[in-house]
Amino acid sequence: MGQVYIEDVQVGQEIPSLKKNCSTQQLVIWAAGSGDFYQIHYDKDFAQATGLKGLIVHGALKNAFLGQLLHDWISPAGELRRFGCSYRGMDEPNQDILCRGVVTRVFQEGGKHLVELDVWTENPQGKRTSPGTAVVALPSRNGG
Amino acid sequence: MTQAGTSVITDEMRAAVGVEGPPTVLEVEKTNCRMFARAVGHADPIFYDEEAAKARGYRSIVAPPGFMGTPIYNPNRPAGVPGEMGGRGFSIPYKRVLNGGTDYEYFPENGAICAGDTITARTKITGFEETTGSLGPMLITRRETTYTNQDGKVVAKMYGTVIQY
Amino acid sequence: MADTFEITDEMRAQIGIEGAPWTYEVTTTSVRMYARGIGSDDPIHYDVEFAQSQGFRSIVAPLGYIGTPIYLPGKNDPTFGFPRREGGPRLNIPFKGLLDGGTETEYFDYICAGDVLEERSHLADLRMREAGRPMLFVTNESVYRNVSTGQVVVRQRLTSIHM
Repeated sequence: MGQVYIEDVQVGQEIPSLKKNCSTQQLVIWAAGSGDFYQIHYDKDFAQATGLKGLIVHGALKNAFLGQLLHDWISPAGELRRFGCSYRGMDEPNQDILCRGVVTRVFQEGGKHLVELDVWTENPQGKRTSPGTAVVALPSRNGG
Repeated sequence: MTQAGTSVITDEMRAAVGVEGPPTVLEVEKTNCRMFARAVGHADPIFYDEEAAKARGYRSIVAPPGFMGTPIYNPNRPAGVPGEMGGRGFSIPYKRVLNGGTDYEYFPENGAICAGDTITARTKITGFEETTGSLGPMLITRRETTYTNQDGKVVAKMYGTVIQY
Repeated sequence: MADTFEITDEMRAQIGIEGAPWTYEVTTTSVRMYARGIGSDDPIHYDVEFAQSQGFRSIVAPLGYIGTPIYLPGKNDPTFGFPRREGGPRLNIPFKGLLDGGTETEYFDYICAGDVLEERSHLADLRMREAGRPMLFVTNESVYRNVSTGQVVVRQRLTSIHM
């Protein structure tokens, strides 16, 4: 995918989505990568003993997925200025997690061309499990 | 508010708002950048390959979005780790906890976070809020963590919300 | 799973073939993670100042940790992390089961955080064992050399059991 420029962006536009599907193995790799070894993410007996149906995906991993969604859209010359989400719903391993974003504002501030977005992860039933927002800076075709 | 309508926010808690906690040192290295990137499933080689990162103008491998480094782990000196759920410390009558969400803010003009960086993290509570919702009475605690690199530049901030109910 | 299996000439011809070298890195975070993983609380593996006061360059890698191979998506096995290097031995192993058959490590120096090692590996041995079911023992030999000093720091024999 080529570089996206501020001139290419319109309010209401959806950015290319990112589909994830975590194996339990990926949740173990994430535990090692994040330092969060909470057992509800890899020990099914433990998860069920806390009242969960089974293993669940770390909220912070879904947050990082949204980071990838934005990074891939703005690279290489864009800047990620802010991103995050709330953890409203749980996601399970071996189930699709669709990361999506929609442009809500295009503006200038501090000499930068900025884009604000709603971003979220969505489960196969279409529920927005981790809704959030983001702000990115994009280059201009006019060299700004 | 509890069932009786009493606030759970104490004077001790009020006094803690705005007070920065002790610093935690985080190390950003090639091995942990790659591990984080691999765990997320990033495809961009700047998170894995030093030559690719340098070709794009970075000092070294780039820390993926959301990665601020690994705290120095020492079993002989356990320290509080800033994190989404870290450092609550107050005696609250609510037994259950939810991570309400996390936002990261970056300041790329102060430099990208790259392998070789040492980041110092300092967290402060920015506010308490009480509300009643579908889960009953809740205490919402908001925290802000500031990440400063080895050159004294603020490279990122994290805003975290914890819900106790 | 096959009832019987014989090592072919084609497989034996892979013995001695060495693939391209791979870089292994030893960092403070990875040394601490490995030490934490084995449950050690020896400060030599965690506290840089302490390790240096004992005469080491930095914190010392616990025995068994010889650095982390540079991980590049598509170039390393996603489960085991080992590099799929160019020109290495190619074995078509028909067995699905895999067990660790053991590791022998010979050390010539301490490994410390900050070290960068170059690893060269070749297929050293292939052997069949009949122990109720056919088991193929595959042994690789690796030599790790410190990139700064050029000295060999570790020789290792790794055996995997396929069945």
